[in-house]
Amino acid sequence: MIKITNLEKNFRIHQARSGLGGAFRDLFQREYRTVHAVDSLTFEVEAGEMFALIGENGAGKSTTIKMLTGILTPSAGEIEINGFDPHKQREKYVQSIGVVFGQRSQLWWDLSPLESFRLLRRVYHIEDEAGLKWQERLIEELDLGSFIQQPVRKLSLGQRMRCEVAAALMHKPKLLFLDEPTVGLDVLVKQKIRDFLKSLNETEQTTVLLTTHDVSDIEALCKRVLVMDSGKLIFDGQLDELKQRWGSKTEVVFQFKRKIGKEELAVSLSPFECEINPVSEYALAVLFTHDKLPLVLSAVMGSFEVTDVAIAETSTEQIVRNIYSTTSETNGVASHG
Amino acid sequence: MGQVIRLFQDYLSQYFKTKLTYRVNFITELVSNLVYELLNLVFILVVFTHVPTIQGWTLYEIVFIYGYFLVPYALFSMFFGFWDFNERYIIRGEMDRILTRPVNHLAQISLESIAPDRLFGVITGVIIMFFAGSKLNLDLSWYDPIIFLLLVFSSTLIYGGIYTAIASVSFYTDSRTGIAPMVWNIQNYGRYPVDIYNNAISILLKWILPFAFVGFYPSAYFLKKEELYGYTMLTPVMGIIFFTLGIIFWNQGVKKYSGAGS
Repeated sequence: MIKITNLEKNFRIHQARSGLGGAFRDLFQREYRTVHAVDSLTFEVEAGEMFALIGENGAGKSTTIKMLTGILTPSAGEIEINGFDPHKQREKYVQSIGVVFGQRSQLWWDLSPLESFRLLRRVYHIEDEAGLKWQERLIEELDLGSFIQQPVRKLSLGQRMRCEVAAALMHKPKLLFLDEPTVGLDVLVKQKIRDFLKSLNETEQTTVLLTTHDVSDIEALCKRVLVMDSGKLIFDGQLDELKQRWGSKTEVVFQFKRKIGKEELAVSLSPFECEINPVSEYALAVLFTHDKLPLVLSAVMGSFEVTDVAIAETSTEQIVRNIYSTTSETNGVASHG
Repeated sequence: MGQVIRLFQDYLSQYFKTKLTYRVNFITELVSNLVYELLNLVFILVVFTHVPTIQGWTLYEIVFIYGYFLVPYALFSMFFGFWDFNERYIIRGEMDRILTRPVNHLAQISLESIAPDRLFGVITGVIIMFFAGSKLNLDLSWYDPIIFLLLVFSSTLIYGGIYTAIASVSFYTDSRTGIAPMVWNIQNYGRYPVDIYNNAISILLKWILPFAFVGFYPSAYFLKKEELYGYTMLTPVMGIIFFTLGIIFWNQGVKKYSGAGS
């Protein structure tokens, strides 16, 4: 369905010199710096997949989405989606995709969502019975009925976002792009949108590409995760794999009956590679890889009297934080995007 | 094209629907538009009653040219009213949305900023033309209305082409350029007989920013200035050339936008 090979996007950025003299020199001779916003990106997506593209600000996510939606022309590489080349066959291609930009609106500010939908159905040539039925279903499933007649500018963010999703799906696209769709929404609205996307994916086999900073979105919706950093794809795989690779450390806090020193515990844990941090006089935290959990537990319980054990599994959020912090340390400054 | 025309109807009906929801607004706008046009007319008459002739052109001839000019100008402002293109589509990023819809981008932007209330200018223009025409004892042939429509259409194309090209500048630079206000000033010279200007300006108005074809040359036909008929006939040609140029410029701009993005 989506096939991307060696996709690249470079921007030439004008380096302004400082000061008035610099500005004057810029008039005659400009210095440019080439930024590789997206660098040799290759991946494939099957129809019906739901996957997330994550990465820090400036990692190249937006640039990638813009290339996939046909807004930007790639500098190099190939994109084939639904059998089209997005940029070259733009008008035909966009008929088969839906796009929700969380920060921008698809709807007409002064019109009611219902009128907006009507216009959109005209734009996408879907004025038949089936189109109307589909619209009815969207309205019902996203629960838009109560405010569908009000002008869009009077809607709350949550109501508007649900309308945005409906608007992007009005022409029943096979592929849906969601660029940070849940920014600023409350938990209930997020839940509603997620549930809807899930059922859409199940019943219509709609492929969904999501970019987000909200890890709970990914956990709720996506099995597959792509992680970008400085324009490169640094991870492509299942969410579980991601957890194993970056979130493999498990922290266990032991509460002991008597005071135990860090060194004392270290002796009995010497066969395992782990990190011990004191929490209080009676408690120590042990950090190790997840697969050693039973061994560590039995070793500690065997040698000491333990009153309490707390196991903290790393959340996806922590994993993402791990990825971001390790990658920006190794790759230096993130690029523009 | 067929789709664009159908969309045009939809946008128009939406436009009126939103306007009609605010009744008071609608009526005040209606009244203020009429008053504005009337004031314009009075102003022209007052100015020209003090200047009976300019280089062989009589007051009513000049009033007639002004009347003609109002018609393509009104049509132009109805369809090409995207003065705020840079601000609205480039800076606020609405251009991205335009590019994700399966309709020609220029047509979408034109439809989104459509302003049917500008059509009042057509009425004022026609009234002024009839008024000046009766003073000049001009007679109409049966085919004159057809020629009028053709000329107005061509003049509108010239206008549209020039302003489309100007809007496209936004694709190349995001800073405000002084081009639009400058052209705006120049266009007003097209309302007067081009032969009253010096050579440089008249060349500019004829061939570079051909605003002479938006007012003066087409009117010359109705004023029976036979020596200028050649230029009148050139109006449709200029319309096609300049509109095509505008579109080429625009398409290049979109290409550039897709190349760079933000």
